[in-house]
Amino acid sequence: MKSTVKLRRSQANWPPEEGQIISFRSSSGSETTIFKEVRWGLVWRDFILQDGRVIPEHRISGCPQPQVWRKTNEVTDNEREECEERLLSMAEAGMDPRKRDQAFWAELNQYLAYTYLRFKQTGCEVEDTER
Amino acid sequence: MSRSDDETEEQRAWRVLSEAGLVEIRLDEFAEKIGDVKRIVIVRLRELLDFNTGNKERESAAYSLGTLRGLELKVLANPPKPPDPSEM
Repeated sequence: MKSTVKLRRSQANWPPEEGQIISFRSSSGSETTIFKEVRWGLVWRDFILQDGRVIPEHRISGCPQPQVWRKTNEVTDNEREECEERLLSMAEAGMDPRKRDQAFWAELNQYLAYTYLRFKQTGCEVEDTER
Repeated sequence: MSRSDDETEEQRAWRVLSEAGLVEIRLDEFAEKIGDVKRIVIVRLRELLDFNTGNKERESAAYSLGTLRGLELKVLANPPKPPDPSEM
């Protein structure tokens, strides 16, 4: 096991390495656990913990500010379609998105955020040009 | 100077999503939020149909709408249990 991640880290040594202990905000307060890997979602990065929970980067202690988020136009059609298929498969399999910090919860959160930004932004641009 | 003049694209995205309650969806609000996002997609789809433009975007918007509808049906089929204060 490696050293505890300090509360404030620079962008250079972020994200932590696999096996490091990280702190994050959970529904029950602050928790400390072992970090497994980081994955990009459609909008932000998710931190996968050794116990399988999926925590959005903004809840991890020491996350550099401002956070790096993807722009909606950086997401490929393939990536979006694969995400849609995974979500429908998880729903068909009877998974419940109301299980906080689980894969379905995390992926549905990001998909809704991404879809909202994608179409809301376009709507704003249309409104702006109509003024 | 408006608030948006000082914002980076990421800050704007964060604000827009926070205002829409979509950064971290409350466990009892998934069906409602899926509905909100569906409405945004429908507005855009209507624009694309009205102007008869953006065939590719129209197709992907329609597909996203189908996905959201499928997810909404599944979520509605399993209503939330009484809220656990620790999960809110």
